[in-house]
Amino acid sequence: MFAVIRDLYRNDKRFAFGFTVLAFFVIIAFVSRFAPYDMRAWNTVPRDLRPSLQHPLGTNSIGQDIMWKAMAAIKNSLLLGVIAAAISRVIAIVVGLLSGYKGGLFDRVVMVLTDSFIIIPLFPILILIATILRSSLNMVVLGIVIGLFGWAWDARLFRSQILSLKEREFTRTAVFSGLKTFKIVTTEHLPYIVPLVMATTINNVIWVIGMEVTLSMLGLSNLNTPTIGTMIYWALQYQAIFLERWNWILTPVIICVVLILALYMLSTSISEYLDPRTRLQMIRKR
Amino acid sequence: MLKKYYIPRLIQYFTVVFIGLTLVFVIPRLLPSNPVESQLSRMMAQGQYLDPAAIEQIRETLQQLYGLEGGMFQQYISYFKRLFTGDLGPSFTQFPTPVMTLIKQSLPWTVGLLLVSLTISWLIGTILGGIRVSFPHSRLARLIELVIMGVRPIPYYIVALVLLILFAFLVPVFPMAGGYSMGVKIGFNARFILSLLRHAFLPVLSMVIIEIGGWFLQMRNVASNIIEEDYVVYAEASGLPKAKIVFMYIMRNAIIPQITGFALNLGFIFGGALITEIVFAYPGMGYLLYSAILAGDYNLIMGINVFSIIGVSTAMLVVDLVYPLLDPRVRYS
Amino acid sequence: MRSKSVLLLLVVGFCLVFSSVLLAAEPPRHETLIADILTGKVGNPGNFNFWATWVGNDKGLQQLVIDPLWMADYVTGEMINVLAKENPIYSEDFTTMTVKLREGIYWNDGVPFTADDVVYTVELSMATPGFGYHTQFNQYVEKVYKTDDYTVIFELKQPNSRFHYQFLDRWGACRILPKHVFEQVEDPLSFQFNPPVGTGPYKLVDYDLGGYWFLYELREDWERTATGMLYGKPAPKYVKFMYVGDASKKAMAMINHELDMADLTPESLEVVLSRNEYASGYYKDFPWAELLHPCVTGAAFNTLVYPFDNPEVRWALNLALDAKNLALTAYNGAVAFAPAYIPALLPYYELYYERMLPYLEEYTLEIDGEEYKIFNSNLPFEMAEEARRRGYDVPETEEEIRIMFGYGWWKHSPELAEKLLLKNGFTRGRDGKWLLPDGTPWKIEIVCLTAATNPSFKWAFAIANQWSAFGIDCEAIPTEVVESLTETGDYQVVGGQPAAEPFGAGIDLYRGLNVFHSQYWKPIGEKLVGHQSRWVNEEIDYFIDQMEQTDYSDPKNIELAIEVAKRLIDGQPGVSLASFPGFMGLDNYYWTNYPTGDNPYAVPWYHWPNFKFVLPFLQPTGRH
Repeated sequence: MFAVIRDLYRNDKRFAFGFTVLAFFVIIAFVSRFAPYDMRAWNTVPRDLRPSLQHPLGTNSIGQDIMWKAMAAIKNSLLLGVIAAAISRVIAIVVGLLSGYKGGLFDRVVMVLTDSFIIIPLFPILILIATILRSSLNMVVLGIVIGLFGWAWDARLFRSQILSLKEREFTRTAVFSGLKTFKIVTTEHLPYIVPLVMATTINNVIWVIGMEVTLSMLGLSNLNTPTIGTMIYWALQYQAIFLERWNWILTPVIICVVLILALYMLSTSISEYLDPRTRLQMIRKR
Repeated sequence: MLKKYYIPRLIQYFTVVFIGLTLVFVIPRLLPSNPVESQLSRMMAQGQYLDPAAIEQIRETLQQLYGLEGGMFQQYISYFKRLFTGDLGPSFTQFPTPVMTLIKQSLPWTVGLLLVSLTISWLIGTILGGIRVSFPHSRLARLIELVIMGVRPIPYYIVALVLLILFAFLVPVFPMAGGYSMGVKIGFNARFILSLLRHAFLPVLSMVIIEIGGWFLQMRNVASNIIEEDYVVYAEASGLPKAKIVFMYIMRNAIIPQITGFALNLGFIFGGALITEIVFAYPGMGYLLYSAILAGDYNLIMGINVFSIIGVSTAMLVVDLVYPLLDPRVRYS
Repeated sequence: MRSKSVLLLLVVGFCLVFSSVLLAAEPPRHETLIADILTGKVGNPGNFNFWATWVGNDKGLQQLVIDPLWMADYVTGEMINVLAKENPIYSEDFTTMTVKLREGIYWNDGVPFTADDVVYTVELSMATPGFGYHTQFNQYVEKVYKTDDYTVIFELKQPNSRFHYQFLDRWGACRILPKHVFEQVEDPLSFQFNPPVGTGPYKLVDYDLGGYWFLYELREDWERTATGMLYGKPAPKYVKFMYVGDASKKAMAMINHELDMADLTPESLEVVLSRNEYASGYYKDFPWAELLHPCVTGAAFNTLVYPFDNPEVRWALNLALDAKNLALTAYNGAVAFAPAYIPALLPYYELYYERMLPYLEEYTLEIDGEEYKIFNSNLPFEMAEEARRRGYDVPETEEEIRIMFGYGWWKHSPELAEKLLLKNGFTRGRDGKWLLPDGTPWKIEIVCLTAATNPSFKWAFAIANQWSAFGIDCEAIPTEVVESLTETGDYQVVGGQPAAEPFGAGIDLYRGLNVFHSQYWKPIGEKLVGHQSRWVNEEIDYFIDQMEQTDYSDPKNIELAIEVAKRLIDGQPGVSLASFPGFMGLDNYYWTNYPTGDNPYAVPWYHWPNFKFVLPFLQPTGRH
């Protein structure tokens, strides 16, 4: 495992970038616990300071230190993304694979369920949950909720991929040559499914973070909790763009971009690594 | 074949639509917003002098007019009855205007906006994705990928706002708000169409910028699998021209999932684009639905969602029925 | 060749799309006043029948086209006779009300306005469930008839000294509809009233089907309108109401001179002022905002919920607040304090706050046998000092400073708050956080609107922040369903209005205080009728009853209202902080002489019906 990571780290710049950034963000997420200020309180530091040694990213118009705020935002948004993506990935993969391989009545019932989840109007439900939970709406709960509603589309995708793979030449060859189904799935099909899972994961994380930003912009998430979305919300609310408080508005945007870019690089690198054919090429190149 | 595949799929379709229609009946009624109360508060917000002595009576009158007096089940039955005659009932926020009228006012804007941006982003994303895979060592192709993937994670709100600031404020070539200009007659005439294009330009551009990434990524993934298929390898080995390989072998085969993706996305265009509508002050269904949810306008929430539910499930049905015809490798199982 | 012609076509097409010249169907800009639609995008823009409850009036309709009988002007404190010629005449026992109408007014389709229109308005409302005043008229009106073309008599079912409040427009009233139009209509509820026929000085020209703008043109016969008769010719030939989006977009539009009057936030106003040299706020300099408005804002406690059912706890929470700091946090110090549940307003200063000041200054709280004076009447001067310290130009005289910042607020007294809480069994935990008497952590949720520009939101966040600093685990929760929560009493504290809004005209505070009468009280779970704090007080009932039996213009009302205010202060059902601060942006590029703090001749807000009375005073600058 470590050897693999070390290998990838040395040989693939994308992996190196993605891994470094993610590791950095995870460390930040832990360090954010030791913030010297209460991140929910206002006016803990002088307002609207430009970056300085004391406040490396300056302070905002409601008297908060932007660097510490951003670190807490990284923690919360990462938490949200990980929880939501993990839940929805697990459900999507299980449902998609089972339904694809098993077929029959099971498949039909599950597909009805899946399609129903696709057509459920998510927005009223999110508002419903936000208003019922009110202050107990934290990142974990929001992550679970978004995760529970974010799997159906991808389950469908995985299922159709399986259906397509089942009909492929090599599957038949494998079946004729007496390979067990489990073996076929893990050795023959997985290389096709993993890149798909990776790609949908990236899409899902982007969707989750986008959803959080949207909810914040509409004032529907807990605006006291520092996240990428609420940071943007407050910055725009206080006209950070027009008053040229770039340190305030750009921080969450850059975090968002770097985070997702890192995930993307990491995922493409891993899927290529898992693909036996590209691995061969890599070895040949060396 | 018919019995084994089409009929179960149709049963699935109708079951899903039924579940969806039931859910949009139930969910709004669970919302804490209540049409009578939100109307009262709107009356107050609009400045009407609400004598406390009259409030209870006003509540009763509204309750009666809205037809919310019977039990849930009774309302549920009459909802389906009405639905079959194509009647979505009156809106509560714009009583007694029929929900259908309100939807008709907003739907063309939304369909136009989303259809155009979906098509453009699909075309660009697909083509660029194909190019990226076909020329894995080209610097330009890598740069394109980096730009697309770097722009995509920017929160949509920011992208839209930046476009607006650049092209409607700093260099005001595009309008700040609305769907068409003052004094223009709505209809099929040059002035209206030009005005329409001018107003829709930035909203469409903002959506295209964000949506390209998804199509690009999907195309890239699918095509990179295809490029390693035996027939492509043979074609390359036999020295066919690169352009022919790209278009005849790679693009053509990778496009099937792109087409189904496009079709599925068509189903989603009835919901509107809330943030786009808010940022560009553009007319459409997103804001209509949003304000309906906030005001507890049950009939309007249901009406709009009926469109989405039927739209999305029909798109899924069509894709499932047609897909096997497009991709011979998938059998009806 | 082919690709060249395609390219050419593309270029031409692009030029067409970009060129606004081709699309110049807008009225001349220098003849047009453009105001913001305050309540946002208009749903169902083609419906102008706003007597039906559901049709919004904020699209230029009440501002320009339709008239009420009377109008309240909270800046001058006067009740203006619009379609009525004089104030209402009540019978001795308040069972009949006589209205004399102005003569010589015409509807914009040329039909004369008469008593028939007024009678028909009332009768049609009574006959049509769903009309805004259907319930009220059925409740109060026995009979309505005319004695001649310009006299209407209302016979009332029970004595009512304030029946005319139904017709007194204060951004809402029963306005008069044209009989000759509505009597042709089969279903008045679904009637669209498009184009609207009104007695106001403007008529509708065009509107956006998307609900973003409405264009009105001055009537040629503007002299035959109440506005023309009272104030002369309105200056702008066209008035456009337009919604461009949130505060940042309004700011952008104002900077580009595409919007003349708009409701902004402190920050977006700052943006406009820094980038548009012709722009100004309500004041030219600090505090920029309109601070005096007939609406008290702050927060309300749910007085039926533990521990907010205890007046000492409510007092403790009030005393834990630092008013100066709140004002700075929420509004950059631009706030007129209103501690007595009566708005800080020019007319009310003289009538109420001036009279109450000695009482407030002597107000004492007794805790554990010791008496404390807790009012800080010096606060306005501290605010002025703070503003000066930050480099703003602030008036020097005591009177001017009082007008700007009000008469003071309660002292920031955390130690008294501490004493009050300890006395009631609250304790501080090891981490310094407050615990309820039963030893569990004290958590407070302040619900508020999601609109960040609204005082509900601003105060909720600022207050939550201070209570947290005081050691209570407190959070502001913006939610879209504030009304539903307050309606059933499912909340602890709500950001918003600690009392209802009075008219702002005349001496009477009946509207604004009557919501606290116990006849409107409902337990939690039952739907709200009175004030959301659900606070009642027997003595208050007596004074409100007394008001009902007194003529609305009788000076006795002042004493009665002050007595009510004193009980409210004792009970503190809310946090009565300040009047609604309005951050209005005005662009003087095309038009000047708006009503402002330096020249407060009328209600400055373009979403109020008073707007038509402002228009004759505007002056074109001559810029093109």
